[in-house]
Amino acid sequence: MRNCSRARAWFGAYWDDEITQAEREWLEAHFAACPKCRSEYDVLARTLESVATLPRIEAAPDFTERTLARVRRATPAADRLALPRPAWQPVAVAASLLVIAGTLLAPFAGRLAQGPIAHRMAPPEARLVATPAPGSLAAREPAPAVAPSRAPQSQEQVAALVDSLIDHGEDVDFVLDPVRVGHERTASRRLEPAQGRQAVISF
Amino acid sequence: MGPDREPPAPTIVSLSDEDLMARVAEEDERAFSELVRRYQTRVMNLISRVLNDREASDDLAQEVFVRVFVHRRNYRRGSKLSTWVFTIAANLAKNEIRRRVRRRNWFSLDALQESLNDSTSVLADPTEGRERTLEREQVQQEIGRAIATIPEKYRLSLVLRDVEGLAYEDIAQVLGIPGGTVRSRINRARSMLKRKLQPMVRRDDRA
Repeated sequence: MRNCSRARAWFGAYWDDEITQAEREWLEAHFAACPKCRSEYDVLARTLESVATLPRIEAAPDFTERTLARVRRATPAADRLALPRPAWQPVAVAASLLVIAGTLLAPFAGRLAQGPIAHRMAPPEARLVATPAPGSLAAREPAPAVAPSRAPQSQEQVAALVDSLIDHGEDVDFVLDPVRVGHERTASRRLEPAQGRQAVISF
Repeated sequence: MGPDREPPAPTIVSLSDEDLMARVAEEDERAFSELVRRYQTRVMNLISRVLNDREASDDLAQEVFVRVFVHRRNYRRGSKLSTWVFTIAANLAKNEIRRRVRRRNWFSLDALQESLNDSTSVLADPTEGRERTLEREQVQQEIGRAIATIPEKYRLSLVLRDVEGLAYEDIAQVLGIPGGTVRSRINRARSMLKRKLQPMVRRDDRA
């Protein structure tokens, strides 16, 4: 019985051929004397043989191509993770709040000021956030306060302002996604965080 | 006498794994493609045998290579590329098993054992005239399912050793465990598998 336990402890090593010559001789002598252990080993050996002879599961013929395509898609995503995403969030949120606030305050704005629409819509004043040229000195300055320099003077004027954002098909570019910008302008990775110029809302 | 010519650059397919990986680190797409070609069957086979789910294995095998590429600079020259790739594959397979267990989106071991017993009884009484190929395929399916019933930590060791034929020391590296633990896990896994497949093996003896 004790010999049987010892023999069974060596089954794996015997199968792997990682057993000393002395152990092998002892085990084979035991097999000759103990049909039960021999039978047990035989079942184990047949089991492992059947596992070893399982057919290889081949990859599909287009596996390499699909994998390459997936790697191409995944690689930019890995780069995205490196971008200082949190630095964008306050600016983006502030810009969104200003747009919402402007829309809500529009009915009251007409009481505060008056003047020709054309004057109010002059480009420099109409910009919510200035967009300096990349690399220019201005680009390193903090963005100006996000507010028109003069409030629209009537509800109609404000409506026209909002309307120009939506209906005239002009270049309304809400750059709220640092990922896209990061890929278009690799230099953006080196930008210091929380610079207002990254949150561009231009029209 | 003509000028000395430089020896022709070795073709991608003749590069060693290490040199291939060095090119992959430089984002050489052809080198990466060759790496995928070299390892796709082994990775696919490993994952399929661990999960016993071919469809999921295709997706997971792709993910292995995505990670190989994404982490290409983490590969240490001088270490075995196969071990590194298998480490990624084993980790993904392990995660997938755990995910399935967590979500209970996988058949229970009891149900699997039941299906195994049912199938074994079918195999024990083969219908006359059944095609030999079909029978062999069924046996292979049974073995695959039996492997899938072994607890994860034993299963991975078993597949790496008895399906992929890795050396014990390589398995220890892939799984990040001592060699002695690898041996004891493999022994236990083999005993479990033997118990599960015993009816089938004995039936074959009688046939």
